Formats: sequence, C-alpha cells, structure tokens
Amino acid sequence: MSTCKFQIHPEPLDLFDLIPDSILLLILNNIADVKTLGRCSLLSKRFHSLVPQVQNVVVRVDCVISDDDSTSSSSSASDKSRGGGPFSSLLRLLVGGIVKPIQAIGQLLGPKRSTILAPSPSSALSVHNNNTSGDDEQHSGGVTHHSPTQVLKNFDEIKFLKIELPSGELGIEDDVLLKWRADFGSTLDKCVILGASSVIHPQIVASGNVMNDGGDDNGSIPESFYTNGGLKLRVVWTISSLIAASARHYLLQPIISEHKTLDSLVLTDVERQGVLCMNKEQLEELRVKPLSASSASKRTLVPALNMKLWYAPYLELPNGSVLKGATLVAIRPSEQAGQKDVSDGSWVSSAFEEPYGTAARMLVKRRTYCLEMNSF
Amino acid sequence: MLKNLNSKHIQRFSYKYLPQFPISPNSPKLGFSRSQIANYRSNFPTTIMSSSKTIVLRSSDGETFEVDEAVAVESQTIKHMIEDGCADTSIPLPNVTSKILSKVIEYCKKHVETPNADEKVAEEDLKSFDADFVKVDQSTLFDLILAANYLNIKSLLDLTCQTVADMIKGKTPEEIRKTFNIKNDFTPEEEEEVRRENAWAFE
Repeated sequence: MSTCKFQIHPEPLDLFDLIPDSILLLILNNIADVKTLGRCSLLSKRFHSLVPQVQNVVVRVDCVISDDDSTSSSSSASDKSRGGGPFSSLLRLLVGGIVKPIQAIGQLLGPKRSTILAPSPSSALSVHNNNTSGDDEQHSGGVTHHSPTQVLKNFDEIKFLKIELPSGELGIEDDVLLKWRADFGSTLDKCVILGASSVIHPQIVASGNVMNDGGDDNGSIPESFYTNGGLKLRVVWTISSLIAASARHYLLQPIISEHKTLDSLVLTDVERQGVLCMNKEQLEELRVKPLSASSASKRTLVPALNMKLWYAPYLELPNGSVLKGATLVAIRPSEQAGQKDVSDGSWVSSAFEEPYGTAARMLVKRRTYCLEMNSF
Repeated sequence: MLKNLNSKHIQRFSYKYLPQFPISPNSPKLGFSRSQIANYRSNFPTTIMSSSKTIVLRSSDGETFEVDEAVAVESQTIKHMIEDGCADTSIPLPNVTSKILSKVIEYCKKHVETPNADEKVAEEDLKSFDADFVKVDQSTLFDLILAANYLNIKSLLDLTCQTVADMIKGKTPEEIRKTFNIKNDFTPEEEEEVRRENAWAFE
C-alpha cells in the first residue's frame, strides 16, 4: 500500500510578527515621511492601527499653488511658478508700499500629482505647476490637491512635525544670501535674518584676488551704505522675510488647532531659506490666544518691532567663503523689550546652522544699530 | 579557583615573577634604582597590571562569551544586572542565540573602542562600520532588533530600526508586503476604504 505523503509548505514567516508593537512603532517613527506612512497603513490591520500613533512626521510638500481669488487664466497662474516668481514681483512692489497681498502662498499643496481640495470655493480646478512636468501649463482637469491639514488627519498623536516646502518664497538672485529664522507664538516672538549682497565661495577666494577693504573699520556702517541703496535693500529683505514668515504662520493655524499633542513644529523649505519654528509653549499660546490676521492678506499681523542691525562690508568665514555686505538683523516685538532680558544674545548667534552661525557670531560683535518698525 | 582571582592576586603574582636584572661582571652594583623598576613595570602588558573586569555572557544555546565590562555595559540590561549584583558567575541571556550575541558583542566592542565621534575620521569609520554591520539577511536583522530591545542598547536599536525603515521607504504596499511576507488581512471592501482614506499617498 502506498502511503500518501502530504508536503507541507509552510507559509513564509512574517518577520514583523516577531517584534512587539512598541518596536514597530519605533520603525514607523523612523520612517517619518507621511506619504510612506500612508502606504504602510494599507499593509495590514496591525499597521493600520499603529500608523495613527506615530509621533514624528515629516510632510514634504511638492508644489505650491496660487490662490485663485480673481479670474486667473492658466498663463497667469503659470507665472506663479515655484522658484519664487511672485515674490520677486512682490519685492519690487515693496519699495513703494505693500500693495499686492500674498497670493502665492495661498494654499499649500500636498504630494505630487495628488489632488488638493482647495478651501477657496471659487476654484474647483486649481491650476498648478507639476514640478515633474514643468511645461504642463494647461488645466489638468480633475487633478485634485491635498492640503497638509487633510493629510495629517489620520495622525492622532503627532509630537514632532516638520513641513518642507519645495522652495523658499523669496525670489532672490543666485549670488545673494538671504536666510531667516522666525519663532512665533500667537504672534511674532523673535526673528533673525542674515543677508549678504554677494557670497564668494572658497575656491574663488583662494586665488587671492579679493581685496580686504573693511579690515580695520570700527564696525560702523560706511556713509555710502545709505546712499547707494544698501539700506533700502536691507529694509526690503527684512520686510519680505517677515511677510513670508507671517504668511507661513497663518497657514499653520488649522493644523495646530487640530493636533493638540504637538510639541514642536518646524516649517522650512528645501533650500533652507526660511525656517519657522514653534515650540511647545508657543503652540499652546496660539491655541489659547488666537492670532490676529492682517487685513486683506492671508497672513498674521506683525506687531510693532524693535530691530537691531549689524553690518560688515566684508566678512571672511572660517571655511573660506566671503560675505560681502553682510547684514544681521535681530527682531523682537517692542512689547517684549521691557519684559525679558534683551541683553542675552545667544538666540541670535544660535539661530543659524554652520557656516552661517559663525557669521552671525562675528557680526554680533560689531556696532549695533537700532531700528523700529510699525506693525503691518 | 579562577573565579575568585581578583586584581589584587594578579598583582602579587606579577611581583613574584619579576625577572632579575642580568648580573654581569661589569655592572657596578646590584641594586635597582626607582627609575629602573618603573621602567620594568611599564614593559608589562597592561592587562596584568590594570584591573579591568571581564563579564561572562551565556547565550540561549549555552555558549559563553567573555567580554570586557566596558563593552558589556553598553547594554543597559546587563549594566543593571551588574549593579544589582546578579553578575557573579555569568549572565544568562535566554532570549539571545550565540550567533546574534556574537554580532551584538562585535557592535558594542567597536562602539566602545572608538573614543569619541568628534573627529571626522573616527566618525566616518564608525558610519561605514554601521553600514556594513546591517548588511545581513532579514531574519538576522529582526533578531538583532529583538536582541537590542531585550539588552536595551539604544544605538543598536536605532540603527536596526532605521535600516528596516529605509527598506520600507519608496516601495508600494504590494512590494512591502512581498519583501516582508506581511499578510494582508483586509477584506476587499476594507482595503478599498483604507485606500480612499489615504488616497494622497498613492498618487
């Protein structure tokens, strides 16, 4: 008699079955990228139940569309492409006064080719420039966009949130350096801006053809600065950085009010041109005391400010690069000046990462100029 | 008898067996100066003169590993056992096989030997070691995760979890399921709903 032999093919082992939920959560926290986490929640019921508990989330925004308030044709919308187009025009307008409200930062888009349900009721077909097919300037009918608020709805326990925009809002020439870092509570807490009219990188400096004409000055601003447009340019930088920061802050409101477990929120961009930070106390402050919006534009009201300015016509950094016309501006609301200890300058020098942290530290030692600005 | 041997005993032995100076007819005196004795002492290997303690670890399959205490206390679990006085003879680790334990010890040794990661070269060296360390098959990787969790070695746990996270990134759900043999326990309707909820992740 022949015996029947059954071959048993064991199912390949699901290795995740071996590890407890706490470690799987650690792995998910290491993933952090919100799109990948969305895919993970589809894997199995266990993943689906764990993904909402992830505490560390990074949202990478793919493109920014303009707010279609007015009747805009596709061509005008395509002008507002990423790369800061609208802001360069804004910079031109700023000299005469801030007329045009911020439109480019009207809405944030979600991941690539994905759809955003635009909060503004006027535009059902929001035109956007897909950054993969840059020449696509037509209405892509039926393309939807997802806002970060919507994308983050699935997460209940976010503690550390980082949102990365595809580019900085300020359109500046390649040679110019402009970096800002702002801390907001329900209004501006502090802001540090570092700018330079030109940056010379180490390779060029090494060839030794750069003169050092500001070596032994006493840190004061040369007279020419006021007449050759240097001061005007710095004011434009300051105002546009503050506008960008306050516009970002305004957009974060729905996210902050919905996610009460947030400990830290950072809104930055790929080039790290501008960084908006909010820590736990500041987030709590915003929930308790809602922000005041600036009229006619989608941004937070910037209060009356005290500003300190430092300038160096020629600044050589330890890594070899040279900043020409380097300017550092440290901004605080006027109200705070009496309350807190303003002489502690550590927040200024620690605002930027290297090599610009060193630049900030070098600039702070020079002569301080004080300015004031009204709220806007 | 060996296990009662502590550093005091060892030092006494070394004195006893201190080699004599060669006595030649030309040497004027037989006494040793202090500097000569100090010179002799410095020639002895440090393991005899120093008091570094070793710990014996026993894996689940009975194999024993002797490691320096400094290496063993990379694991917070072992550190607490030593502090609580449970580490007289050897420390049994029933949850860790010898294969995994030897890998963990290799990791801890490397991380203890590299003094500080401040210097660029040391940091690069450590990074490439870590990158090579996790080039193992999946089941070994998951065993390392479990061992790092049980032994409470934070840096190893972070390294291995980050490796798994990197394996997941960039893949579609089907690819992830295939890679890790994850069983899809959704009904088609449930799956459809989850897909709709997370539509933005799939476009």
